[in-house]
Amino acid sequence: MPSYKLTYFNGRGRAEISRLIFAAAGQKYEDIRIEREQWPALKPKTPLGQMPVLEVDGVELPQSAAIARFLAKQFHLAGKDNLEQAEVDAVIDTISDINTAWPASSSDEALKKKFLTEDLAKHLQNLETLGKLYGKGGHFFVGNQLTWADLRFYTFGQTCIEAAPDCLNNFSWLEQNRAEVEKQPKIAEYLKNRPKTSF
Amino acid sequence: MSSGDLKFYYFDLQARGELTRLILAAAGRSYEDIRFGFDKWPEYKPKMILGQAPVLELADGTQLPQSLTIARYVAREAGLAGSDNLESAKIDAVVDTQKDVNETYFSKVFPEKDETKKAEELKKFLDETVTKHVENLGKLKKAYSKDEKYFVGDKLSWADLFVFQSIQALLQAVPEVKGKFGEQFKPLMDAINGNENIKKYLDARPQTAF
Repeated sequence: MPSYKLTYFNGRGRAEISRLIFAAAGQKYEDIRIEREQWPALKPKTPLGQMPVLEVDGVELPQSAAIARFLAKQFHLAGKDNLEQAEVDAVIDTISDINTAWPASSSDEALKKKFLTEDLAKHLQNLETLGKLYGKGGHFFVGNQLTWADLRFYTFGQTCIEAAPDCLNNFSWLEQNRAEVEKQPKIAEYLKNRPKTSF
Repeated sequence: MSSGDLKFYYFDLQARGELTRLILAAAGRSYEDIRFGFDKWPEYKPKMILGQAPVLELADGTQLPQSLTIARYVAREAGLAGSDNLESAKIDAVVDTQKDVNETYFSKVFPEKDETKKAEELKKFLDETVTKHVENLGKLKKAYSKDEKYFVGDKLSWADLFVFQSIQALLQAVPEVKGKFGEQFKPLMDAINGNENIKKYLDARPQTAF
């Protein structure tokens, strides 16, 4: 039985998807949360000077998406065959594109507002398109069962809603998808008990 | 297997399409390599699943968007994505690390129109980003490789092809990057250039601006 150690800052950020996968799978792991002051000392000891890092079977994996995909496959949350896994990856990459396009760390408030009011909806429309095509008429993104695509959208959705509370108002499929994730008993339990953090 | 069962739609460029073409070449897999100029894009765009390219279309009409998703899918089909989940993850980690650097070039250097600013961004890219990247790739190879040539385990994977293609593309765009990579990737580049299937493809592929 492998042991898992996930190291990240004390926040959701790029690690929460992996924490949700562990929770959905009911899998124990070491959830190491580093405070900002501890990071400079730890940084040179990580593979790429970045976090999150997953340690499994003595191997260190960097890169949040690589980590999450690995865990999802370990716990059968990645899609049931190569095509479904690719459909899941397509959702993941589409969400990643939104993060790339979102000028979240810009000091230009007008630029940020423009993104939220004009551009975000087009990206969310793309996600709904994928969910409706790959989801076989169900509420999950791919193949009528929970995969890490749903968990990833769940965390991303929280970020959207915190920035713009009405962002999903015109996207009932996406709202329903998040509601289905929240209803899963192990997820509900995890959400209730996880630390409340600012990011 | 007829080429009718797989269609790859992309511009007549290397850019975000070439990795998939290289993987399919390495696999000896036939497919329809549908290439179009920017002038034809308005005809193709509405037929693409998210109005973007590249797209991979399967025999039953299912479409996959997203260049790295497509590459990973065809790599898995071809046995070029690792022999178990952990190897696949190591490959993904190398791919994502290379992707981060490519995106830095495409977001910071490539679009800069002001010549002075572009030169500054390029210098920063070469001195800082590429230097760190070569170090990072070296670290990952040391941790994951069982072979002097390949990044993960002891056989060719799509991570090797992505690094190969990215270095080639960067050399074409920025010849001054040549010295930064040293000799450490030469065994890999030689192995890929010498691979029979890939050599055949490279000799025949259209020359494009990027």
